[in-house]
Amino acid sequence: MNALRISPFQFSKDPLDTAALQRDMRDHTCGGFAAFEGWVRNHNEGFAVTRLEYEAFAELAEKEGARIVDEAIARFGVTRAACAHRVGSLALGDVAVWVGVSAAHRDEAFRACRYIIDEVKHRVPIWKKEHYVNGDSGWVNCERCAMPAAHTHDHDDEHEHHTPAPAPDYSRQIALREVGAEGQARLRAASVLVVGAGGLGVPVLQYLAGAGVGRLGIVDADRLEPSNLHRQTWYALADCGREKSTLAAQRVNALNPDVRVESHALRLDTGNADRLAEGHDLIVDCSDNFTTKFLLNDLALRTCKPVLFASVYQYEGQLQLVRGDDATACLRCVWPEATRDGLVGNCAEAGVLGPVPGVFGSLQALEALKLLLGLPGLDPGEMLIFDLVSLNTQRLRARRAPDCEAHRRAGKSVAATVPLELEIGFGSLAEAQTAGFSFVDVRDARERADDPLPFPALHLPMSKLLANAATLDTGGRYLLICATGKRSAAAADLLRSQGFRECRSLRGGLKGLKAPA
Amino acid sequence: MPERTIRVQYYALLREQAGRSDETLATSAHDARELYAELSQRYPFTLPAEMMRVAINAEFGEWSQPLKAGDAVVFIPPVAGG
Repeated sequence: MNALRISPFQFSKDPLDTAALQRDMRDHTCGGFAAFEGWVRNHNEGFAVTRLEYEAFAELAEKEGARIVDEAIARFGVTRAACAHRVGSLALGDVAVWVGVSAAHRDEAFRACRYIIDEVKHRVPIWKKEHYVNGDSGWVNCERCAMPAAHTHDHDDEHEHHTPAPAPDYSRQIALREVGAEGQARLRAASVLVVGAGGLGVPVLQYLAGAGVGRLGIVDADRLEPSNLHRQTWYALADCGREKSTLAAQRVNALNPDVRVESHALRLDTGNADRLAEGHDLIVDCSDNFTTKFLLNDLALRTCKPVLFASVYQYEGQLQLVRGDDATACLRCVWPEATRDGLVGNCAEAGVLGPVPGVFGSLQALEALKLLLGLPGLDPGEMLIFDLVSLNTQRLRARRAPDCEAHRRAGKSVAATVPLELEIGFGSLAEAQTAGFSFVDVRDARERADDPLPFPALHLPMSKLLANAATLDTGGRYLLICATGKRSAAAADLLRSQGFRECRSLRGGLKGLKAPA
Repeated sequence: MPERTIRVQYYALLREQAGRSDETLATSAHDARELYAELSQRYPFTLPAEMMRVAINAEFGEWSQPLKAGDAVVFIPPVAGG
């Protein structure tokens, strides 16, 4: 007995050794052996084919293949079963796929063999590139070769397999003037990484796959649990215990076989984030924790890839777009360094109504499609808050924080932010105070004594300005004041170069205030 | 500081703890920080201001930003559910 169990489903770059495969099926308790071989034939849908290439996402495909073989063994009570599939370049007549089953009796051997090949064609993500006689070539998703296997209903197969599967049809969105054939081509060329395949991720993946986004990456380390299903209604109770990334990839494939889907059953971390994001144009954050969100925020700043964030809580949620550029706010510009998981409850602790992540995931899908199509939407940095009890929405503008640690770490310069106008005019100091400014008086002591300000102010004469700048708050809204507005403008300029982005100078100085309007 | 009328909105944990999503109130609080401290006397708020953000008139602002009559103040705790 061999203690190591070799996976019952394997890919091979080399020609399949069917004799060796068959030898492994021998068992003295078995009275029958059934095999199926799929060959490369010389035509498909009227085109002459000269050779074929198979490509598979091995990690996902091997697991799914092994699961199918295990299902067949359990379902039909056969003794041994295995399947081998070629990848790479194949010539006419080559064996592309081999299935072998040995059992006590022939009937279950035949049925299990049929089950395995049908399910493999239906469920295992394998792409086939056909090379035609005229020199053209085309990729065909093998799943489109087979309709859902009839035996899933446990009836005898009546060869529904010969009905060709319908092709995806985007006519209802192409009809939109803003989409058209050009927009559809853009979507097909696009690649989106979706981090999290839960409450938010499900609608995101559904709509992006439905819209025909060319390539989708799915990252989720979790396995499906019964408590997920009230909000993750794409999955089935029977799927519980299985990896969500795999399940989601299968659903994407079933919904739209044109989409290239890659699933990663792992948690995003500093070691894998860049690799996972590679080749994607946009990242959609559907995670449920700050650790992941801040990792993605850093990634956005490092790579300038936009990230669409969403978070939900009970009956409400927040949506924010981070562009990763110098000038616009990131997640760290909004949230204090101290923000971390456990501060406020997640879905498990605080509860959530199912449609709430559904609404926010749908909004993410909408914003993602608009971004890919170049349509207007959420401004970078802006946060949309939607309270689904009162149905109130708010759009809150967030500014790029001049002291943002994440921007600094990513090497973003402060100077590159869009500056506020240096000077601002007011009719009176009271008006300026109402507008939220704190006053900084840059005049010297004698001037102050002669003409004191009627409001509290910090006194930072020009000579001591930079030496004492540390007493100021980098995010503070300061109005710098002098007699005529010249020194204060110079001072504001100087402070801005030190990162005090909100510093402004009172236009015309105190003289300007006293002059008749 | 004379009393001014200000509209306040609560989100997430704060909404739960205040038992309401918004209210209009008269306050003499000088800035958002003072307003939050005042409201913390009335409601069992557990989050310190430093852990949240405040938005005034649809713009994220500073806690030290002075309040004026008619301001719309929104207290926003960070949330991460997905």
